[in-house]
Amino acid sequence: MNGQPHYRFPPASAYRLNRCLFALKSDDGFRARFLKDARAAMGELGLDAEDAAALVRGDRDALLARGAHPYLVFMADLRLRMEREPVSFEFF
Amino acid sequence: MLVGAFACAHTPQLLARPGTEDRDLVLRVHAAFARVKQRLETLRADALAIVAGDHVEAFFLDAVPALAVYVGTECAGTFGRYRYRFPIHEPLARTIVEQGVERGFDLFYTQQAPLDYAFYVPLHFTMPAPAVPIVPLHVNVYLPPQPTPHRCYEWGRALGEIIRARPERVVLMASGGMSHFPGTDRYGSPEFEYDRRLLEALKAGRGRELAAITGEELDKMGNIELRTWATLLGALGDAKADVYCYEPSWHHGNAVVEWVP
Repeated sequence: MNGQPHYRFPPASAYRLNRCLFALKSDDGFRARFLKDARAAMGELGLDAEDAAALVRGDRDALLARGAHPYLVFMADLRLRMEREPVSFEFF
Repeated sequence: MLVGAFACAHTPQLLARPGTEDRDLVLRVHAAFARVKQRLETLRADALAIVAGDHVEAFFLDAVPALAVYVGTECAGTFGRYRYRFPIHEPLARTIVEQGVERGFDLFYTQQAPLDYAFYVPLHFTMPAPAVPIVPLHVNVYLPPQPTPHRCYEWGRALGEIIRARPERVVLMASGGMSHFPGTDRYGSPEFEYDRRLLEALKAGRGRELAAITGEELDKMGNIELRTWATLLGALGDAKADVYCYEPSWHHGNAVVEWVP
């Protein structure tokens, strides 16, 4: 992390990107639309081409470099994986 | 009055365990939660005030409160197949927000916000039957700049005084910790030795040391969530911790702790 904090102030320039990650994490409807047509879903939130490309690639380093919040990247990815490749969970 | 105090891990893998998680470890944490549940029954709590850091669920970048109190009649949250709904102890919640503001803490309050898993993972395992009304108390841990540990400790001190002056039997619970680094390169290498040293200090009744830790150090040690513990310790002063368990998984230091106020 080069001496940088692990969790940094989310730059305002990354608001839309973080908004999209938040929706993937917490909005079941948005997540379903994203899985059906990612480009269209990202278009709803006005993501620019570079953010959209990084998100489609699931490129964590690129997302963080663009100001994405690490926790949102982590949990959005987890929720997408839970939908795409339902792993077996033991539910307590 | 303040009749009990606990700190509980809340990692969601304790609720829905994927194959990556050691089942025996998860069950040992559950056993510690079961002890908390038993204690809550013995303590006959009228209300459970739970201090947790919202994981960008109720509070996105549209509005980022440092300290918030849920003062609705009830609150609810969902995580995958899990659906939770809890009654809020409204008179206590309202007193906390009113008296907190009187004491100089500019609290944010909400009557309608989704509840994050940081609140309900511990409650899933520890809530007695019939359910005890709760008061969710949010401390910002994930969206910098967060309140300093010192400020959290001072808020906890005020919170403790407010609760002690109330007629209800109140249990205070801090949710979160210990070391973990979700979403970063450090996810697989938490600072377990730091956690163990801190637990030794807490066992010796040196909780006020948490108030002196900087936010920078908490970030470096994967312990940004210990702001919730700092809040609880502000209410408890120098009470000695009884560590029910400390279970380091491959990504998370899971602790369950009790203090007798």
